[in-house]
Amino acid sequence: MSIFEYNGSALVAMVGKNCFAIASDRRLGVQLQTIATDFQRIFKIHDKLFLGLSGLGSDTQTLYQRLVFRHKLYQLREERDMKPETFASLVSAMLYEKRFGPYFCQPVIAGLGEDDKPFICTMDSIGAKELAKDFVVAGTASESLYGACESMFKPDMDHEELFETISQALISSVDRDCLSGWGGHVYVVTPTEVTERILKGRMD
Amino acid sequence: MSRRYDSRTTIFSPEGRLYQVEYAMEAIGNAGSAIGILSKDGVVLVGEKKVTSKLLQTLTSTEKMYKIDDHVACAVAGIMSDANILINTARVQAQRYTFSYQEPMPVEQLVQSLCDTKQGYTQFGGLRPFGVSFLFAGWDKNYGFQLYMSDPSGNYGGWKAAAVGANNQAAQSMLKQDYKDDISREEAVQLALKVLSKTMDSTSLTSEKLELAEIFLSSSGKVKYQVCTPDDLGKMLVKYGVTQPPAEA
Repeated sequence: MSIFEYNGSALVAMVGKNCFAIASDRRLGVQLQTIATDFQRIFKIHDKLFLGLSGLGSDTQTLYQRLVFRHKLYQLREERDMKPETFASLVSAMLYEKRFGPYFCQPVIAGLGEDDKPFICTMDSIGAKELAKDFVVAGTASESLYGACESMFKPDMDHEELFETISQALISSVDRDCLSGWGGHVYVVTPTEVTERILKGRMD
Repeated sequence: MSRRYDSRTTIFSPEGRLYQVEYAMEAIGNAGSAIGILSKDGVVLVGEKKVTSKLLQTLTSTEKMYKIDDHVACAVAGIMSDANILINTARVQAQRYTFSYQEPMPVEQLVQSLCDTKQGYTQFGGLRPFGVSFLFAGWDKNYGFQLYMSDPSGNYGGWKAAAVGANNQAAQSMLKQDYKDDISREEAVQLALKVLSKTMDSTSLTSEKLELAEIFLSSSGKVKYQVCTPDDLGKMLVKYGVTQPPAEA
């Protein structure tokens, strides 16, 4: 089994009209055994920037802690929050620093940039950025997620419809993947508020 | 005094003094003053801005108050460029602690760590000491609100009220007289503004010459560092009767 599939994960982010949504599954496993059903994969960097990390759990936590370190210093020195595009470049640079001994993570970055324009991107474990205008996926369920998102996504959805779409895409994809699931965790972010919801799916 | 022993920072004089450190403190004695007062529900820091030209663009950044981490801030007196280096060092130290222990760095440990850096410049390297004194204000879950003062020698102490910079001795004695142990944050602001107005050299006190920052717990229980806006500061100066009206022509 590949090291990326050791813990199991599913992540998806979608762009809506002046909003974005980012969702993850909640399972943490050790190969085929489920250890936790409330594992946090999506982290808030600041009110308009969220980071999802899929892959090896230990690396995701360490990478997140290192990013908090860098972002906090940036905030103190620049006296403002980091733009999502800048943050994505930072993550990419940090991952490439470990080119020959990488973090076994695949990040998904979602945020509201200048003028609250939604921004999403993903990258591979050594920092190759992939920007998208509609959706990005990561994790062991990524192949199912690609299919589900491709068929369910439509542009300029409002935050209610976006929530429904991303939830359906996530749940239907993790149901086809034995290593991810045990519910879902969805954040929908608009310029004015952040809504966090837990989804109940097949608990297996 | 033996001038033969000044040129090296890292040696004692025959009387057992470190002249370079003392000269650094002289430099701070000419800089804008800063006062810190510990109250039961917060810490107040007030600073005197020395550079007040209309040409200076001071939109958001502050001259005397700096945030080190979410729960610690400091007021500076002395050479600003030296202060910037130390503030950056303090910020990185605080983040390194948080990275290792996943919790905010206790205030005293942060002050101690920074003072260890300052002390290094008085014992080895042959470099001059930093010409900055700090007033650190912060909150942690072990000791609540705290106020620390540190000087170029690397010495630090925890204080209930302290002053650094120009006229700091006069300010300190005034604080000693008027400070009460159970002072509230609002009373602390009033006391700080009163003391600063008496020790400042300028004839009229306006909100452009001062900076005020407070560390307190917000209603949700989180530590908050807030710099007062110039408008609010102006209103407070009038309220506490500290603004002197401009002299009649």
